[in-house]
Amino acid sequence: MNEHESIRKLLPLALAGALEFEELRRVEQHAQFCDDCRRESETWSRYAQALRQLPQPSVPAGLLERTHSRILQQNAAATSDHANAIVLGATAIFGWATSLMLWALVRGFTGGSVNILGLNLVSPLSWSLLSAVLTWITAAASAMALVRRREIRSTL
Amino acid sequence: MILAAAMNPETLRGIDDTIDRVRRGDRDALADLLAQYQHRLYRFLTRLVQDPATAEDLFQQTWLRVMQKIGKYDAGSKFDTWLFSVAHNLAIDHLRRRRGGSLDVSGETRATPAERLVSGTPDPLEHLLDWERCAFLASAVNELPAIHREAISLRFEEGMKLEQIAEVAGVPLSTVKSRLHRALESLRARLESPRGSVGRHDLPPTHKLSGPH
Repeated sequence: MNEHESIRKLLPLALAGALEFEELRRVEQHAQFCDDCRRESETWSRYAQALRQLPQPSVPAGLLERTHSRILQQNAAATSDHANAIVLGATAIFGWATSLMLWALVRGFTGGSVNILGLNLVSPLSWSLLSAVLTWITAAASAMALVRRREIRSTL
Repeated sequence: MILAAAMNPETLRGIDDTIDRVRRGDRDALADLLAQYQHRLYRFLTRLVQDPATAEDLFQQTWLRVMQKIGKYDAGSKFDTWLFSVAHNLAIDHLRRRRGGSLDVSGETRATPAERLVSGTPDPLEHLLDWERCAFLASAVNELPAIHREAISLRFEEGMKLEQIAEVAGVPLSTVKSRLHRALESLRARLESPRGSVGRHDLPPTHKLSGPH
């Protein structure tokens, strides 16, 4: 590819302001002595100018208000979810603390032994397992209730 | 005019303040931010997806996503670049789902894109000529592939630097240059093609494109 062809390829980018300083200088120097490239450059210039003046789409009426309203709804939902997470966390801690206190009380009243089917319910291991199962069932029920609530909210 | 307003130093200085207020939950600041970018963002999305209803939906999704991520926005970078990159990702995802593949294909020819477009020339004859010129070019732009339409819109309408365009589109600078080059060459080929859909107009493109802009 000779210099003239190489410059012609650069002309659209030159008019788009997308050339490095050195490349632009090369184009300008060549165009000074090349009528063909100068004419081509003028044509590209008209394209660039016209592309800056394309018809503008008009923003639909009420779009801003609708968007604003959806953002506020999203923010309210996020705040509500955050509050729910805090309540769930606090409930879990309360559940474990209650279980621990209850264990101490039951042990105190029963002398540390309540046997059912050969299993000592107030031993640390069995009490922990029992508490964990009950806590997870409660947490799963709460999570399902929250998901259902979110589904209802998203359909509104 | 929209770009000039967006590039106003007062506007640029005020944007960081507005974003800070939005982060603190100021509803008025949020309304200001939406109003400030509504024309540019809607125009960009319309150019990309070529459908007003989809552009409207993506406009809302973009702002919802922006509000979810506003805490992660780095005030050191330009807000419009960040905003447009969020819009770009959503629009590209939409186009990929719709077309199920490459975005490097030409858009469908819409009947008259100019029907939804407005112009501001006061003289009726001038208005008509301008409208025809603009509609002619707009329909040629609409036939370009999405990634080329995007490059043209960001460079010529939004006045973004190539580095910003690269950030918005998430591609290297060399790719932006290559897309711009191919977009311009392809646009010109369409306008000058005697058999192209745009070439159904009889007047040569230089006649159509020159004029009292």
